[in-house]
Amino acid sequence: MAAHQSRADFDAIVVGSGMTGGWAAKELTELGLRTLVLEAGRPIVPEKDYTEHKPPWDMPFRGLGDRRQMAARQSTQRHSVSFDELSHVFWTDDVDNPYTTPEDRPFYWFRARQVGGKSIIWGRQVYRWSDLDFEANLRDGIAVDWPIRYADVAPWYDHVERFIGVSGQAEGLSHLPDGPFLPPMQMNCVEQHIKQRMQEKFGRDRIMTIGRVANLTAALHGRAPCHYCGPCQRGCITRSYFSSVNATLPAARATGRLTLRPFSIVRSLIYDARKNRISGVRIVDAQTKTERVYTGKLVFLCASALESARILLNSGVANSSDQVGRNIMDHIKWGGASGDFDGWTDRREIGERPNGIYVPRFRNVASRHPDFLRGYGFQGAAGRDGWGAAARAPGIGVALKQRLRQLGPWSMSFWGYGEVLPNPDNRATIHPTLVDKWGIPSLHIACRWGENDLAIHRDMNVTAAELLEAAGAKNIEHPSGPSVPGGSNHEMGSARMGRDRKTSVLNGWNQSWDVPNLFVTDGAAMTSSGWQNPSLTYMALTARACHHAVDLLKHHEL
Amino acid sequence: MQRRELIQWLLATVAIDDLFAVGREVHRRAVPSVDATLAAAAERILPGATQAGVPAFIEKMLADWLTPEERAAILAGLAGLSDVSQLESVDQANPDWYARFKFLTVYGYCTSEVGMRELGLWPQPWRYDGCAPVAG
Repeated sequence: MAAHQSRADFDAIVVGSGMTGGWAAKELTELGLRTLVLEAGRPIVPEKDYTEHKPPWDMPFRGLGDRRQMAARQSTQRHSVSFDELSHVFWTDDVDNPYTTPEDRPFYWFRARQVGGKSIIWGRQVYRWSDLDFEANLRDGIAVDWPIRYADVAPWYDHVERFIGVSGQAEGLSHLPDGPFLPPMQMNCVEQHIKQRMQEKFGRDRIMTIGRVANLTAALHGRAPCHYCGPCQRGCITRSYFSSVNATLPAARATGRLTLRPFSIVRSLIYDARKNRISGVRIVDAQTKTERVYTGKLVFLCASALESARILLNSGVANSSDQVGRNIMDHIKWGGASGDFDGWTDRREIGERPNGIYVPRFRNVASRHPDFLRGYGFQGAAGRDGWGAAARAPGIGVALKQRLRQLGPWSMSFWGYGEVLPNPDNRATIHPTLVDKWGIPSLHIACRWGENDLAIHRDMNVTAAELLEAAGAKNIEHPSGPSVPGGSNHEMGSARMGRDRKTSVLNGWNQSWDVPNLFVTDGAAMTSSGWQNPSLTYMALTARACHHAVDLLKHHEL
Repeated sequence: MQRRELIQWLLATVAIDDLFAVGREVHRRAVPSVDATLAAAAERILPGATQAGVPAFIEKMLADWLTPEERAAILAGLAGLSDVSQLESVDQANPDWYARFKFLTVYGYCTSEVGMRELGLWPQPWRYDGCAPVAG
């Protein structure tokens, strides 16, 4: 590298080792930078820490979880859909890591502190955005315009998908662009039936496709295909789903330029006012509580949307726009419907498919809905109940034992994930007094759904029922939603990108307007929320930002 | 999804503070004779429960998982049985304590090694077929 003359400890410092930190580590090291990755949590050793093949009878509570431990230490984290008796170790301790909300406005801040972060426990659904999304704020006059368009990100989606491995079905939709997919997973009989009926009734307007998921259906880069064991959230010893532990961090390590330091909680960034640069990062060692400083020429914040905002606010940097911590978005969920189907009683599923079906957004695509802007997609799945129903049905003795083998009717569920509009009042601020176990000031998070968000939620119930009715379902029921903000674990927007330094934190390269050697590439950077699961876009933006940052470094522009 | 729904049903309307009461001592001291009844009741509800280790699982749940109220209700219910042959009629009435006890019995069986092998749930197939014939 041309810029080696300075005496920084590292060329680059990456804060966080999860979804985006792993990508920053891989790209920066592969581009030749000596890179330090700081991870707040513990190291992960797959052979020891992954538990996906442990049978239920080896768990003290048989998978129901340690209720007292959950109540005492993880009363917020336990609400995550992938939290269970074994995977609970991949979420933080709520007592050590407190935050507050207004009493009448709960917010679930799901947090992961270990090497791999939330990439170990994510839902693995990956969907590209399109210009329907990147142009949305401009078109609707909402918040600020994205500084980028699909053409800017498309090659990076390719780059990321080819490395992580995405199974899926190409559909040729302009608002859900296809990628270089591995073979799709299979729909079960009832899902195929519903897809067919939807096609007859709605044509190309509402289609069903198999979920696009970062689980391999063919070997890729030394990782084995999925064997359908089920609990991905407990890890994956065959590395069949993408996580930073399974893929990006090993790639970074292979360069010989990665230094990974677990137990390193970032307290603040150190700002050099004379040079207008971040000169380093101050950490607290999680085990010893001692402080130490690392210096670097570049800093990438990949700590998760709210944690990165917390670091910026605690550091008092990069916030001349006053937008850091604002515009927090999630996806509104627990809208949709489920219903039962007669038939296919001689058919069942075998194995645990780590994926469902997907109905891409159909509202405000070709026509304008009178009640709300934007839209939502449905995830879903069909299946049959096993022995669970027998536990609640009358009967004991031999009759009950027989009944354990009987499968329930097929039922199908659609769960909506709705776009949430940015609102500057949905905001995280530094708590005036509360600190975490390491003495670092905590966040106060104040968020509520807006009218548009709630209108989207209501519409999910209506259209999911239409889909089920078209397919001949009975006993249609709706979930009790809407979800608590944060509940989708898609929190984002707290240091948004934009075209104007007065109204945004980052430029079109995820680079701080205020401090040029600072990049934020996790969910904080998002200018709107889209309706798609966001991790793929975070990863693509991270890879893109890394290449740009290294270009700037080479040209002595940092 | 199924397991989560069951958990939510089990967790319904629980005051968090209740969870911190020390379970095992309460259980042992309060009803020393209940263990035999517990095992007999589980076996009556689901033949094979004993062999599958269900009584030990239920005791674990009584001691370390259920709230004091839930535990007391189950123990009182069991203590009130003069004979496990009464369980047929209790099953019809399905009082709350019994519904929980029955659930724990079925759950314990269906998550035991004996039960999972018996039901064909273990070993896992390690493949996916979305439209497989129902065996037998």
